[in-house]
Amino acid sequence: MSAVYDLIRYAQLRHRAFTEVVDRLDDGKFHFSAKDNLCADGFQARAGSAVLDGYRPPFDATPIQKMKEVGGQLVGKTTMDEFGFGTFSTNSAHGVPLNPFDLERSCGGSSGGAGAAACLIPGHIALGVSTGGSISGPASFCGVVGLTPTYGRVSRHGLIDYGNSLDKVGLLARSASLIAKHFRTIAGPDPKDPTSCAQPALPEKGKMPRSLAVPKEALQNLDPAVRSSFHDALARFKDIGVEVREVSMPSLRFALPAYYILATSEASTNLARYCGMRFGRREEELNQHFNDFFTGVRSESFGDEAKRRILLGTFCRMVGFRSRYYLKSLAVRQLLIEDYRTIFRDHDAVVTPTMPFVAPRFEDISRMKPLEMYGADVLTVPPNLTGMPHVSLPCAYVQGLPVGMQLVADHWKELDLLEAALAWEKAFEYRFPEVSP
Amino acid sequence: MKIGLEMHFQLPTRSKLFCSCPTTSAEPNHNICPVCLGYPGSRPSLNRKALEAGLSIARFLDCTIEERVWFSRKTYFYPDLPKNFQITQYESPLGTNGHFDLNGRRIGIWRVHLEEDPGRIKRVGRSGEEIAFVDYNRSGIPLVEIVTAPDLTSPEEARAFIDQLVIELRSLCGLEAQDEQTVRVDANISVGEERVEVKNVQGLRNLEKALKFEAIRQTKLLAAGKKVIRETRRFDEERKVTSSAREKETEEDYGYIGEPDLGEFRIGDMARNLDLKETPLARARRLVSSFGIGEATAKQLVLTSVTLTDLFEELCGHVPPEKAVSWTTGPISGNWAVLQDRARWSDIIQIVKDDAEGQITDNEAKRRILSLAGVQQEAAAEGGDDLAKLISDYVDAHPEVLADYRKNPKAANTVIGHVMKESKGRYSSKEVVEEVKKEMEKRV
Amino acid sequence: MDRETIARVAKVARLNLTEDEMERYAKDLDDILNSFSVLDEAPAGESYSFNPIPVVDVLREDEPAQDLDPQVLRNQMGAYEDYVRGPRLS
Repeated sequence: MSAVYDLIRYAQLRHRAFTEVVDRLDDGKFHFSAKDNLCADGFQARAGSAVLDGYRPPFDATPIQKMKEVGGQLVGKTTMDEFGFGTFSTNSAHGVPLNPFDLERSCGGSSGGAGAAACLIPGHIALGVSTGGSISGPASFCGVVGLTPTYGRVSRHGLIDYGNSLDKVGLLARSASLIAKHFRTIAGPDPKDPTSCAQPALPEKGKMPRSLAVPKEALQNLDPAVRSSFHDALARFKDIGVEVREVSMPSLRFALPAYYILATSEASTNLARYCGMRFGRREEELNQHFNDFFTGVRSESFGDEAKRRILLGTFCRMVGFRSRYYLKSLAVRQLLIEDYRTIFRDHDAVVTPTMPFVAPRFEDISRMKPLEMYGADVLTVPPNLTGMPHVSLPCAYVQGLPVGMQLVADHWKELDLLEAALAWEKAFEYRFPEVSP
Repeated sequence: MKIGLEMHFQLPTRSKLFCSCPTTSAEPNHNICPVCLGYPGSRPSLNRKALEAGLSIARFLDCTIEERVWFSRKTYFYPDLPKNFQITQYESPLGTNGHFDLNGRRIGIWRVHLEEDPGRIKRVGRSGEEIAFVDYNRSGIPLVEIVTAPDLTSPEEARAFIDQLVIELRSLCGLEAQDEQTVRVDANISVGEERVEVKNVQGLRNLEKALKFEAIRQTKLLAAGKKVIRETRRFDEERKVTSSAREKETEEDYGYIGEPDLGEFRIGDMARNLDLKETPLARARRLVSSFGIGEATAKQLVLTSVTLTDLFEELCGHVPPEKAVSWTTGPISGNWAVLQDRARWSDIIQIVKDDAEGQITDNEAKRRILSLAGVQQEAAAEGGDDLAKLISDYVDAHPEVLADYRKNPKAANTVIGHVMKESKGRYSSKEVVEEVKKEMEKRV
Repeated sequence: MDRETIARVAKVARLNLTEDEMERYAKDLDDILNSFSVLDEAPAGESYSFNPIPVVDVLREDEPAQDLDPQVLRNQMGAYEDYVRGPRLS
């Protein structure tokens, strides 16, 4: 077997990056993986949930199909939080992925397996999905590059929904050049996803951002090591001729609640279909009233966090609460888009750390309350809520653990971000853990 | 008495509302795909034709049409609903605040919107513990929902309303012919203060029966000094009674949210640019006011044939309207199927004109028209007995028509249609109508 | 969040919760919603849209087509005599 295949198996067995992998690699093809919420013919698609055990979609998600068309082999499905519900990939029914830099720490989430695979396998391209930060987070904790395109840039046909107005398919890999190449492959309109049909064509080339904005509100409550690493990174940007200015964006504090309300409201409707009929886990004992039947399957199959988000989302759209929570959050999203636009009039991108801390230990995670966990998304949520493209890049190492920074650009300007990422890579050397399968 | 209706009609598309599955009838679960089964990873895309048909209806009903609309998810759990939410329109229907003229009375239309149909359930197993056998062929079939104000005043009027609405919509956008039987209606009815909702009645006949039952029930309650309880009732088709629908175990909270997979639709221009055909009853009203002909005659004309009505209007340019009427409802109507194919309009018009100007006799004119149709006058003259026999044979063979006729004289239309078809144009529609009415009255 | 509310939400969502779960989720949701009350201060207007980018008038032409053999789907759903079996309605 090839060295690459050994690495894939290693990533699966030792780091639980994959839920399923192929038996062998095809000659002449490049290898890529897909998060387990992307449907692929020949694989189960369980999205980290027991309720989808046995679901074998008879079709390929469009991004997977496009990767195959240019010579890619789908080598495996990567582990994730159930339906994307998590920041640490600890809410998975099919194994919790372990960080490539430290087995006792989280890969981030919800595309944790994708982060680990991208880090452990050189030349590997991992398709991830972000709703509120699920590409940036794992990229940051696993020390890889993660691109989350503009909402609607990549078709969601074949993606198992979390929040349809927030979900974005993106890429994780060791380098921006690898991502730049495959971003072109998966982008573009697809009649099977109407929201992908509103995009402008990709330009030939991006424009190197010359001016970065740092919202001061984003620098509160950071781990001190992350804060100082981030300031070093800003200094390095200045060295390569990029202007950095502090700005104020007071509306940022509304992003987290608006995001969680919209995401869970949509999720609670998306998850209504999982009821023991038709697909995934099918209940055979039919001699029950349908309400009991549905309730039984759902209560047994959904994990703790899935239930919490279903409850939260159901509440936020109920009569009497809907306008205070759901409708208000829609309006707040528009407000944030306008505020980003104001900043983009004078600056090419917004930059912040990606996560407020480095990859945490599992034992620390187990002591976190749900609200604290949601708070960890505070920096990744704003661009996700507003559909702005963003990229997370490794920018420092603290006690051997990677620190990520996140650049956000205006809608459709992914290529500008990739220019910045390519320039960054010339100025800063990435490190990857030594692996000997 | 106040009655308001919520009607669901299937729109005439070839593919479903949100996926490309065919809408034709098929074996169970043959017209299905991941989208209409709600498979994880599938997503909807809107059928242009369905949107256009819905907008035609909204415009025809003179609704206010917003510039921008979107779809919503109505979440509830039921085995026939694949996603356990239905994609419908909530805050932003296609049209609001329209009206329909029913025999000169204005019936308010509250809203017109699009939604997807769920699947169909067959109950299988021992009585009381039947399980569901679900066929998802209908899942995603495009429906238009039309909601009226409580402006209807009797069960008969409610039925007439749908009857006439269907005639108009059929011509407007090609609604299926069997819609009188398949239309699904929720009706609100109040005799006194409190209203009762009768849910999910299928077909016009059932609707009228359900409403009549409900009207009597409420009247009796009130007469006895009792109160009508505000509730939802269902109609039992076999026993022909309404009964209180046991409140669902869980009172659903639909928790409407916007459907983010479809985006939004700027329908203003689309609606304005639609070319709306003149519908039959609207045309009849115009004929009455433009040419001063009788209402019944105008209706008979437009419902017989669009092209015959065209000829009528053409004739009115050459001869007085009463002449045009007597010819188009008389000898021409009786042979229209053939004339339409064979004769040049100019020839027909010339004959009628010559007759009107006294250049030829009525009989000669009639002979010429018939010869245009290739009918020998002798044969036509012999037809008398034949017509009566055709009618009585049919009524003998279809006793239910007579039963219907007792309740609603419109049932005679079935007989008229049959005889017109069978006699292949040997008799004018006027002759047939008169003869059928005579026969039916004789028997009733 | 009171017991009645969380019980109602769970019922609408078709989730069966034990007393312990009920208490725990009610507490979690309380914490979460309290912290989310900051939204009340947001100066957002009434205008909203359901996507972060404009998605306007994306329509499909009315042409029937089936990419997948429905037999494959019926098999997956464990159809019996072509019907998909479900639980009792009453």
